[in-house]
Amino acid sequence: MPTPPAAPSSSPSSSSSATPSDPGADAGPGTPAGSGEAGSEVADRIRYLDEVMAEIDAEVRRRRASGDLPAGLERELDELFLEFSPVGLQGRARLRETLSLVDGSAYVDIAVPTASNKAVGSYIKRAVRKGLGWYMNFIVAQIVKFAWSVSRMFHVVVDHIEDLEAAVDAHRSPDLPAALQPSASDGASWWAPAAAEALAGVRERVVVADCGDASLVESLLAAGVDAYGVDPSDLALEPALDRGVDVRAEGVLDHLDVVADEMLGGIVLTGSVQWLRPNERERLLDLVSTRLAVDGTLVLHSASPGAWAASAPAVVRDLAPGHPLHPETWAHLLGGRGFAVASTIAGGEDRRLAHVGDADADADAGTVNAVIDAINDLLLGPTEYLVVATRER
Amino acid sequence: MTAVHQFVPALLPRDATGDHTRALRDALRAAGWESDIYVEAAHDELQDEATYFEEYPSRARPGDVLLYQLGTSSPVAEFLLGRDEPLVLDYHNVTPESYYEGWEEHTAAKVALAREQVAALAPHAVLGIADSAFNARELEELGCRATAVVPILVDDEVVHGAVDPAERARLAADHGDATVLLFVGRISPNKSHQRLVEALWVYRRLYDPAARLHLVGPAVTPSYAEAVFAFADELGLSDAVRHAEGLTKAELAAWYEDGDVFVCLSEHEGFCIPLLEAMGAGTPIVALDAGAVGETLADAGILLPEARPATVAAAVDRIRRDDDLAAWLADAGRRRLEDFAAATTRQRFVDVLAGVVGREPVVA
Repeated sequence: MPTPPAAPSSSPSSSSSATPSDPGADAGPGTPAGSGEAGSEVADRIRYLDEVMAEIDAEVRRRRASGDLPAGLERELDELFLEFSPVGLQGRARLRETLSLVDGSAYVDIAVPTASNKAVGSYIKRAVRKGLGWYMNFIVAQIVKFAWSVSRMFHVVVDHIEDLEAAVDAHRSPDLPAALQPSASDGASWWAPAAAEALAGVRERVVVADCGDASLVESLLAAGVDAYGVDPSDLALEPALDRGVDVRAEGVLDHLDVVADEMLGGIVLTGSVQWLRPNERERLLDLVSTRLAVDGTLVLHSASPGAWAASAPAVVRDLAPGHPLHPETWAHLLGGRGFAVASTIAGGEDRRLAHVGDADADADAGTVNAVIDAINDLLLGPTEYLVVATRER
Repeated sequence: MTAVHQFVPALLPRDATGDHTRALRDALRAAGWESDIYVEAAHDELQDEATYFEEYPSRARPGDVLLYQLGTSSPVAEFLLGRDEPLVLDYHNVTPESYYEGWEEHTAAKVALAREQVAALAPHAVLGIADSAFNARELEELGCRATAVVPILVDDEVVHGAVDPAERARLAADHGDATVLLFVGRISPNKSHQRLVEALWVYRRLYDPAARLHLVGPAVTPSYAEAVFAFADELGLSDAVRHAEGLTKAELAAWYEDGDVFVCLSEHEGFCIPLLEAMGAGTPIVALDAGAVGETLADAGILLPEARPATVAAAVDRIRRDDDLAAWLADAGRRRLEDFAAATTRQRFVDVLAGVVGREPVVA
């Protein structure tokens, strides 16, 4: 365990000199405790707390690796709470729950309670109830009629929605077999240096989704980026856990769900982002656009659609719930959420066919090469791409 | 004579905004300024200290400055928008409506209205005073031209007040040596009580099977509170989660002192007074770095980047296993608390408002 440094010495807040006409310059007391003391003392305390936090992270990793904290346990807790939550009820359950509330409140009872602590009070209440009964009956009958009409309308709407859901379910694709899911990121791949360059200088934490063996995480750490990884596969993470890398066994959606807003300086998306269902993709984009700090960097790696269609196994192509998007589509989706795309980099395996012969000397060779160029452009272009975007708002 | 009059939707006793408003009035009067409190409603105990806000026009005098204690929706906001006097906002933050959607629609509508009122008032204010830089940023984003960060005036009686010994003994006898995780705050979706329950469950599973969670605060969102306690029940924690509200200041101090670790997993806080109360009690703090929590806590506690129950449980265990760390955090908390000393804050308010008095109102 690290040895604690001296506790902070109190000081008058540094804010005391700020003036109202100096917006933004006033840090208030929201500065490290004892903000007037020597910088080295503050640094010592921050370093000590960082060491404590690192021990806490290591303890969590150790518990996960030992099986004390099975993967998915925390997600199951979250899901259990949702069962008690009106906001957690999904689809039909939520509709029916809300409908039962409407039904329950549609009846208005005019028999108001007449009990009272004082005998005369009860007598007066009964008299009022009896005297106003004819009036209340008339009014309440109309209210109840209206309420039941509204309730009836909601029942019709819910029935209709359930019919629509059943129709949609009929087209739902089965899950892609795990063994056929595309492999996770490879830190030694062509795009790792570009990702490291895009994230250079990011001071807040950076999460790498579907990090696999965490080689990309380690590349980023080596470049001075405070990176960690998440991956739903315990098996894939084992080597990284053995090396003591900060990785967590969970999917990117589950992870981002519990990260506080604007806590991340960078997010690297790869792997499963390529075949998310449309609703999952929307959820991912919502999470990315809130968990990433303003000015934070998003790095998104994907196979290009053409290459995927040409090279993915037939079963994957047929059963994948989603498919890779074009980089322009990601730019469009991200732009709608306040991101500006800084660069799009094509890369991956170069499968282009080489030219034949000497086109200058041989007209036939020129014709063939033109056809080769067309084939290269249509079918054999870059197999992957990287989108680097910045959250602007 | 210079006058800085305060407007507040409701003046309540034993309430953070109410206590702050009355303490500020006393500070302004001590500085030689006239200062009265105008309200939409006041508790019976405080009727003598408040005037209905619509009576202000008949009492208005040239040179008055109007200071609005802004933390909820109120007709007072519309009233102030129609006034010509220089307006100062003292912004305590409004919880985003998204936290209440699905749980309590009328509260969601109320806070949405409050945020609309903040947006309308901010450009008109000559100054926005905020509890935290987090709140100041919100005001600036809404068009407030000048902001200053001055913390809320904290009740010394709660932070440094006497502890009810009988309550303290009763609590200790109740749980024995078991670890007690404590959180104080109204039970509301933005406070994430369910994550506290999750953390307790994991902590009991991994570290201390007898650990307890003490929750203090009113269940202001009943449907959420019911869900939290039903969740705890489902996890077999109904005997391990204890809830209290309506405590006296001395009883509250006893609950603070009884807690082994103060755990705050709120997702949205504009300042978080309970952190200061925990510091005053010497209770080590573990908190999620969200909203203004990080700047209020500074380095006087363990600040977590995420609220995963395993991480929270490991942080609590780390403190429980290391007496040096627990003592260091308690000491750091007490010293951090000195940055929020009431005398310093009172003077800061006077200094900041001195720069406003005599200014023309802003025409937005």
